[in-house]
Amino acid sequence: MNETLKAARLDFFLLRPYWKTICFSIAVPLVYTSVARSLVSGISFAMCMLGIISSYTFAVSEKNGMERLYGVLPVARRHLVFGRYLLIGLMGFLALVFSLISHMAVLRALAETVEVWEIATSAVMGILGYTVYVVFQVPGYYKFGTVGGKMFQFIPVTGYLLTLLLLPRVDPDSPVLAAVLGQPALLIAAVVLLCVLAYLASVGISVRILRNKEI
Amino acid sequence: MDNVLEVRNLSKSFPGFQLKDVSFTLPKGYIMGLIGPNGSGKTTTIKLILNMLRRDGGAVKILGMDNIADEKAVKEELAVVFDSNYFCGDWTVAQTETAVSGFYKKWNAERFHQLLKRFGIDPAKKVKDLSRGMQMKLMLACAFSYGAKLLILDEPTSGLDPVSRDELLTVLSEYIEDGERSVLFSTHITGDLERAADYITYINCGSLFFTGGKDEFVDSFRIVKGGLNDLTGELRKRLIGLRTHPTGFEALMRTEELENLRRTGRGGRMAGGTAADDLTVEPATIDEIVVFTSKTGTF
Repeated sequence: MNETLKAARLDFFLLRPYWKTICFSIAVPLVYTSVARSLVSGISFAMCMLGIISSYTFAVSEKNGMERLYGVLPVARRHLVFGRYLLIGLMGFLALVFSLISHMAVLRALAETVEVWEIATSAVMGILGYTVYVVFQVPGYYKFGTVGGKMFQFIPVTGYLLTLLLLPRVDPDSPVLAAVLGQPALLIAAVVLLCVLAYLASVGISVRILRNKEI
Repeated sequence: MDNVLEVRNLSKSFPGFQLKDVSFTLPKGYIMGLIGPNGSGKTTTIKLILNMLRRDGGAVKILGMDNIADEKAVKEELAVVFDSNYFCGDWTVAQTETAVSGFYKKWNAERFHQLLKRFGIDPAKKVKDLSRGMQMKLMLACAFSYGAKLLILDEPTSGLDPVSRDELLTVLSEYIEDGERSVLFSTHITGDLERAADYITYINCGSLFFTGGKDEFVDSFRIVKGGLNDLTGELRKRLIGLRTHPTGFEALMRTEELENLRRTGRGGRMAGGTAADDLTVEPATIDEIVVFTSKTGTF
């Protein structure tokens, strides 16, 4: 675990010079929320932006030829992967909490009512969306790099557009939605389980890719 | 244990290139030059030592430990400087230390700052704003700050001005002073090795041509010059990398061959009439040995 934390810390330092860009990317969806007046789509947009940012660690290390540094450091390759996922996951969690609070504040300031189900749906959509973006993108970047794997950068945008497309079709009074939201403990457990399984599979694939990769 | 690095029958195949059964050992307290022309396999050898490439065969032991099975322990004792910077360009020098130091149990912050001072590196400066020479010194400062026993340099002097190259060689000599640390120094600027190296490992076209003492290597060859009339068929067979020009020829010759030539009958006169004493014989430099042997690809 210690090595994973060290690797995550190294990745954090990679992102540190870009903190203004990251903050800006997380803040931009606030404008969208204030226009669309929808917490769900605002949070989905925010997590889409953060999904795009998950490529930054790869892009920065690639730009600086840092694979040689990773090859020299006394740390196992799998811990480099664990550390990267840890940082990306942590960033997603913090961004989700910040986005939920800030987007609700914006809507309240605009005299919009935010229902509990909206908050729950936004959080679930945000977590699921971000998980999908990350678990598919990261192995792609490990395999092809950010230049070769440019197509993986479209995953968050595609995911967000799909959300926008499907969201209006969801009936808030649907009995299925009511049943799902009526069992919050089950919902949280299902979401957590789904995300954990997806992350485990993605981490496993990334470790395998990096282990076989020649620098 | 007297050897810091032991490479045995190291092999690796790429499409169009093969590193074949490279073996050499680096004793404790010495500098070894890893030489060869561009594309000869020097960087491949180093990357295999660092487990950055997967070997097809052979073994690498660093301080008695296997470079793959004991990778983490090995890398705690290993420092590497490449031909170009491998830190994030947007980091300051101080941030570089913060980012990297956590990985090394024996990191000595005081030593790192002493080295920065000695090398004239401003800790507040961004890595990308440092000159190429300064970036190399930063990598060296990091390498020297955790007591690494083996320093591997992959063409560190390419692109450096003569002053920076001289400084680097001085630093390397100081590094091995205590007799406990060693340096593997890959370069194609062999002039640096004339001054600093104790041992030479010469790789060409993926094969090991020579490994041993530098003096032994240099003494093994002579530059032979003569007129075109001296260039008999018998002599041609003994010359390496023959170059002819309108007034004569020059080539490399094994010292052993030259001695044999001198010992042959009639005062070293071969069939065709050339005598060893008719030829001009000069000592060869490492550069000349590499140039002449690379021309033929044979030894």
